[in-house]
Amino acid sequence: MIGGVGFAHVHSSKGWSDSSRHSWFWRLDSRAKILGVFAFVLISAILTQRTLVFASLAISVLLAITSMVSPAGVVRSYLAALPFILLASVSVFLVAGTERGINMLARTSACVIPLLVLARGTETFDLFAGLRRLRVPALITTLLMLTHRYILLMSEELSRMSVARKARGFAGGRSLFDRYGLKVLSYTAGMVFVRTSGKADRAYEALRARGFDRDMTAWRGTRLSLPDIVFVFCFFFASVALVVFQFGVVL
Amino acid sequence: MHIPDGLMHPLVAALGWVEFLIVLAVVLAITGKKIRDKNLPRVAILSAGIFVAQMVNFPIGGGTTGHLIGGALFAVLVGPALAILGMTVVILIQALMFGDGGITALGLNALNMAIIAPLTGWGVFNLIRPLTSRMQKTGEGVALASGAWASVFVAAAACAAELTVSYAVSSGEYGIAPTISIPSMLAYHAVIAAGEAAITVGIVAYVMNVSPEMIRGPEQAIVTRRGLARAFASANFRAAVAIIVVFALALPFYFLYASEGADGLEQTMADAGKGEEEPIVAAPFSYGQDYFGALFAGIIGFLIVALAASALLRALGTERT
Repeated sequence: MIGGVGFAHVHSSKGWSDSSRHSWFWRLDSRAKILGVFAFVLISAILTQRTLVFASLAISVLLAITSMVSPAGVVRSYLAALPFILLASVSVFLVAGTERGINMLARTSACVIPLLVLARGTETFDLFAGLRRLRVPALITTLLMLTHRYILLMSEELSRMSVARKARGFAGGRSLFDRYGLKVLSYTAGMVFVRTSGKADRAYEALRARGFDRDMTAWRGTRLSLPDIVFVFCFFFASVALVVFQFGVVL
Repeated sequence: MHIPDGLMHPLVAALGWVEFLIVLAVVLAITGKKIRDKNLPRVAILSAGIFVAQMVNFPIGGGTTGHLIGGALFAVLVGPALAILGMTVVILIQALMFGDGGITALGLNALNMAIIAPLTGWGVFNLIRPLTSRMQKTGEGVALASGAWASVFVAAAACAAELTVSYAVSSGEYGIAPTISIPSMLAYHAVIAAGEAAITVGIVAYVMNVSPEMIRGPEQAIVTRRGLARAFASANFRAAVAIIVVFALALPFYFLYASEGADGLEQTMADAGKGEEEPIVAAPFSYGQDYFGALFAGIIGFLIVALAASALLRALGTERT
């Protein structure tokens, strides 16, 4: 798929590094992070003036640098999203001119970078709990949480099968006409479904036995502290300033 | 196919969100009670399964690989409503945990991969299955492969159309020019879709052999119904509704695009200073000038084409036997 991020890093639970866990961004309340980043991305996506697009890109890069959230991981994920961004930018560059092409590259990058910092700088269950506390329906957050739990189970199963396939000399098939290769790959995926469904049922029953009742609100009860409020205020202020300049309310 | 933030015109992204939220609300209303009990872990397992199956890269040739979307597979396993919900969860996880796809573009990504792909896959599968039933297992495979192929191709076409509309609406500030987006998206995904078809058929064949209870069985309730109720509950009718819903979801984008000016032929004629002359024979129907007019014309057109294709295939089948 175009623009598909390789999910190889899912095996290590997003590959959070120790530096991520010690950063100020990691310690913020997940609600503050979600509100601040989403508001900023929403505004960055509607900017068209070159100076403002570059200002939002500068804020994004500043966030990525100062947050100290796994720089290698953020760069890797950004590079994985780059082909689609480049396709769009180059097409605009060729058809509508250099300035618009550069604008497109800068605008999409300004939107993608803060989301990657949020994704890599927040523990997954904290992220889902934050969404729930921001009134996202319980059905959706519970499904997110359960699906993430099962993804970890299935990823382990898949990597075990991958090792077994390689041990038997299977190299991934040659092309779409390689029937044997496609059969091995599809049976592998089918086997993951079947093998893990039993395990997943047991995992769900274990969750319920430990008091889980289809909603995750009660698990994480933190209060917004001063750094959280400052973070949200800074990003709201930056977003409002960008939108005011974009639509000429002040100028 | 994951659209990042900042690529689409805000109006197109907003339209994507509106359509996504409407469909999600309908799906939650349909599945609300069903999902709260045993289906909750089941949908989560399948969502996780689709996510993990997307990590299995299949070879395309020349050293390149593609991966599954899984919309058709999901819909065949649990039905379209639960598939839409499950695929939405997959898209959300990709956006929130991996930054794959965006927040403003989430509506469009969900529309393409979590709504259009499962509905198209399930619709095409159920429309073709009765026509290939004489071929037994091979026929089932052909129907499944057609559904899976169509799901990816139509989702890619929707994505290309959204990029084109963004480009037209913003005069080149957003989106991708149609001369680039349409051929590149369609050509690339026509090939990827062939891989999706092969992998989907393989997975379903394996699950059918090893754990058939995982696949949604035929609706027993239909047998007991009579007359119109039975016709409305039939897989064929619901498959046709699924395809019409996809068409209805695409129409607002068409109107947004059409509002920006004349189509290619009209523009060429206008540039050449030629006016449209009185037709020798006038068609009894027009495409419709508003949303519901166009939707009605589309439904009539779909039914005529579906009936003609069905009659043709049946005639060919009868001749062979």
